[in-house]
Amino acid sequence: MPMWADICVAVLLIVGALAALIGTWGMLRLPDFMTRLHAPTKAATLGAGCALAALALRFYFVEGGSSLRYLIPLGFVFVTAPVSAHMLARAWRARHPVTPKPDPAMPSASP
Amino acid sequence: MTLLTICLLPWCAALLLARLRSATAAFALAGACALVVLGLLGQMAQAVWAGQTLQSSVAWLPALGVSATLRIDALAWLFATLVSGIGALVILYARYYMDGDERLPRFFALLCAFMGAMLGVVLAGDLVLLAMFWELTSLASFLLIAFNAPDRGAVRGARAALAVTGMGGLALMAAVVMLGRAAGSFDLATVLAAGDVVRADPRYPWILTCFLLAVFSKSAQFPFQFWLARAMAAPTPVSAYLHSATLVKAGIFLLLRFYPVLGGTDAWFFAVSTAGAITLLLGGVAAVFQHDLKGLLAYSTVSHLGLITLLIGFSTPTAIVAAVFHVINHATFKASLFMAAGIVDHECGTRDLRNVNGMWRYMPLTGSLAIVAAAAMAGVPLLNGFLSKEMFFGEALALEGHDPIALLAPLAALLAGAAGVAYSARFVHDVFFNGAPINLPRTPHEPPLWMAAPVAVLVLLCLLVGLIPTPIIGAPLAAAAHAALGGSLPSYSLALWHGFNGPLAMSALALVSGVGIYAVLMRKRALHQRPLPDPWGYRQFERLLLTLARSGVVLVRQLRGDRMRLQMAVLALAAVLAAGWPLLGGGFEAHLPELTAAIPQGGIIVWVVGAVFAIAATSARNQPVTVLLFLGAVGLAVALAFAGLSAPDLSLTQLFVEVATVLLLLLALQRLPVEAPPVRSLGKRLRYAAIAVAGGGGTGWLAWEAMLRKPPAISDYQLANAVSGAGGTNAVNVIIVDFRGFDTLGEITVLAAAALIVWAFLARERAGVLGRFQGSFMLPTAVKIVMPFAALVAVHLYLRGHNLPGGGFVAGLLLAIGLVLEALALGSWRSPHARPVRWLAAGLGLALLTGAASLALGYPFLTSAFGHPVLPVLGEIPLASAALFDLGVLAVVVGATVMLILAFAFGREEGKK
Repeated sequence: MPMWADICVAVLLIVGALAALIGTWGMLRLPDFMTRLHAPTKAATLGAGCALAALALRFYFVEGGSSLRYLIPLGFVFVTAPVSAHMLARAWRARHPVTPKPDPAMPSASP
Repeated sequence: MTLLTICLLPWCAALLLARLRSATAAFALAGACALVVLGLLGQMAQAVWAGQTLQSSVAWLPALGVSATLRIDALAWLFATLVSGIGALVILYARYYMDGDERLPRFFALLCAFMGAMLGVVLAGDLVLLAMFWELTSLASFLLIAFNAPDRGAVRGARAALAVTGMGGLALMAAVVMLGRAAGSFDLATVLAAGDVVRADPRYPWILTCFLLAVFSKSAQFPFQFWLARAMAAPTPVSAYLHSATLVKAGIFLLLRFYPVLGGTDAWFFAVSTAGAITLLLGGVAAVFQHDLKGLLAYSTVSHLGLITLLIGFSTPTAIVAAVFHVINHATFKASLFMAAGIVDHECGTRDLRNVNGMWRYMPLTGSLAIVAAAAMAGVPLLNGFLSKEMFFGEALALEGHDPIALLAPLAALLAGAAGVAYSARFVHDVFFNGAPINLPRTPHEPPLWMAAPVAVLVLLCLLVGLIPTPIIGAPLAAAAHAALGGSLPSYSLALWHGFNGPLAMSALALVSGVGIYAVLMRKRALHQRPLPDPWGYRQFERLLLTLARSGVVLVRQLRGDRMRLQMAVLALAAVLAAGWPLLGGGFEAHLPELTAAIPQGGIIVWVVGAVFAIAATSARNQPVTVLLFLGAVGLAVALAFAGLSAPDLSLTQLFVEVATVLLLLLALQRLPVEAPPVRSLGKRLRYAAIAVAGGGGTGWLAWEAMLRKPPAISDYQLANAVSGAGGTNAVNVIIVDFRGFDTLGEITVLAAAALIVWAFLARERAGVLGRFQGSFMLPTAVKIVMPFAALVAVHLYLRGHNLPGGGFVAGLLLAIGLVLEALALGSWRSPHARPVRWLAAGLGLALLTGAASLALGYPFLTSAFGHPVLPVLGEIPLASAALFDLGVLAVVVGATVMLILAFAFGREEGKK
């Protein structure tokens, strides 16, 4: 396994882990549902995406050409993560119907 | 071969009939079936009368010594001829009785099935086969009695009949098992020859008790007589059949059949003759006071069955001859009487004896036929009933020993004879004379000629047997009695005139006093004012049913859903006790956990994560959805742990089961109360905690102990033979689809049945649409993109299953989860691919066909074959026929899972919105 590949794998893993950490932290710190929704979505897409990419890269060199299948879950994550976030948002909206607000600067004020 | 045809033909006809629409075609088919059976029996007549026993046998369960043997001797021949002969007449009669009824094909189908069951009972040459056909007669008669189903009387009558005869069926099964053990074989011929051994066996009293319970319940002997009177709610052709030749005679047949084995002891004498005598008197007296024409006949049947039972109880050779003779006579006159009653009912629109009077003016032909039949029933000379009743009186007088029954028997016989004359007199006088009809719904007239024809045939038989008994009935009677006795035939005479003797005097006395009793009772129509006698037995039966139902309600109230915690605690505690009980005996050395073994570090982390989630779940106990998510996380941790412990198959399965479970429970939560009241008392919480720790800890410890044992030889065998025996390297999959394929077939069948039950219960008012997701665009689109890939992964898992982790079960679960998500996303249970019933049917069908294919190739059921053909492009392909079976498993798992989850998703709740 060449050096540059090793470096790539390491960077991908670190970025992915950082993304997951930031996502989790955001989940804890952000104030309301709609903003909180952003955090795990990024964590899932970026975190899992980077980790899987690292996996694919490493096993390409270790096992040979058959490592493309590690990219299949990546595709699934890219398709499903936004959709599930979208559905969560819809569900929240269904419970909290939007009432016209006099202040346009605040899009949402529910706790 | 002929025997097999006789036995199977009615069933084939029944299957065909159930599909027919046209009444005429159904009549032709049913009639042809009965006539063919009759003809085949006729062919055998000479051989059978000469004392031969014909037999044909197919191995059925050779390991248990059970074979599908059919056997016919003169006794079986006689009963089979009665069943098919009277069956043919009943079919002709029903064609006109139920003219214009669109249910006629169904009626004939049930009638043919019933005939098949009866023929099976009579011809069975193996005890187990006999018990099976016996059960079938109970079921078929249940369906026939309940034919007018929404009608309350029909439903109640059928229920009583099924409960009583079903209980008898269980008793017969017990008797058969014990009898088979005692005699050393289930083969009827062997058992019949082993009478001395059986009677000397210590189990004899139990065998006799169970056997008599079965026989008495079927033949409506005291105290089970009530169901027969209730069974008259059936259409009249059915009554004519049930009461004369079939159902109730099955019990008599069994008594006669097993008389050489079980009979002849004191216990037999007392039990059988006491039950017979009580039934004889009870039925006779009750019949006189009925106001329903069919009720009168029903109780007269009870009485006559008592008479036959009493004769068999007497246990003398001549009494057995008389019993066989009376079986024939009773069948002929009772069938014709029921048919005549049906004609009266049909023409008058009612069969209440208080309204139906003076019919002689309207239907002299039916009248004269009915009068002759009733006279036969009363025992008037020159008719068949006279001859057998004469023999009965003779037996009662000749009884020796057995005080005080020997003294009481003639008295009881005389009393019953008088009662028989009285109700026969009432049948004739009240219906055809006794003034004019009162308030009839319609004006009666003669029935169509073909409807009266069966009655005429039977009445002619009564007359012929009565006038010239020996040429008509002598040979079959002698042969049948010989077969029933299992030995030598006593000397008896069928002559009309024996000189002035005791029996003749009793006959005369019974005739005179019977007519006298009726005349006194009917003076100024006083009998019409009398209330119905209490139908003893039925009220007690209803009360018993009510008590059972109430105790069930009490039990359910103690354990049902709103006491969930209690319910779970009881279950867990029971499991702990059941598992711990054997350990209390000792002789067991415990292995303390040794963590020094090579456990991967990652494994420990996974376990800690799982444990944390489990504890978190208990702290969030009032928010079901949160608890559920935590539990899902625990399940994933377990799946990871399995993967770490080199159990990839388990890991895969656990993963998908976990996903499916969370999905199912999330949907089920819609229907449950959102919040459970918290447990406040510390004592209770500690108690629940103790139970939880005992359950979880105990299970873990048991698993630990099991894993530390040396694996028993069977798993070594399976590992060693997976490749050579089944061509697969995944031993788990090989065990499921090949080594233990038959188990799997049973399991998927149960799975399919359970799913269908849930589907039927929950989805009664299935709503088409799950409203909340309506209008979403992204979800359905995403599903359309992802679904093909999910299906692809499932196919991949399935294909590699025989050699690598995977297989039909896992692949089925994955596909099912995909299909459920698709259905949820589309918001409709009518999603294009989730057709659970079809999946189930296809899967079960495929699994069965795979099994049957090996049968067709001459191997045992479910034998699998494998090979490694080399194909031009794809190279060497491992192929096993078990893979097809696995495909069946896959389809059943898909169907069942989809069905279970969707039943929760689109249930009644949504239907209301």
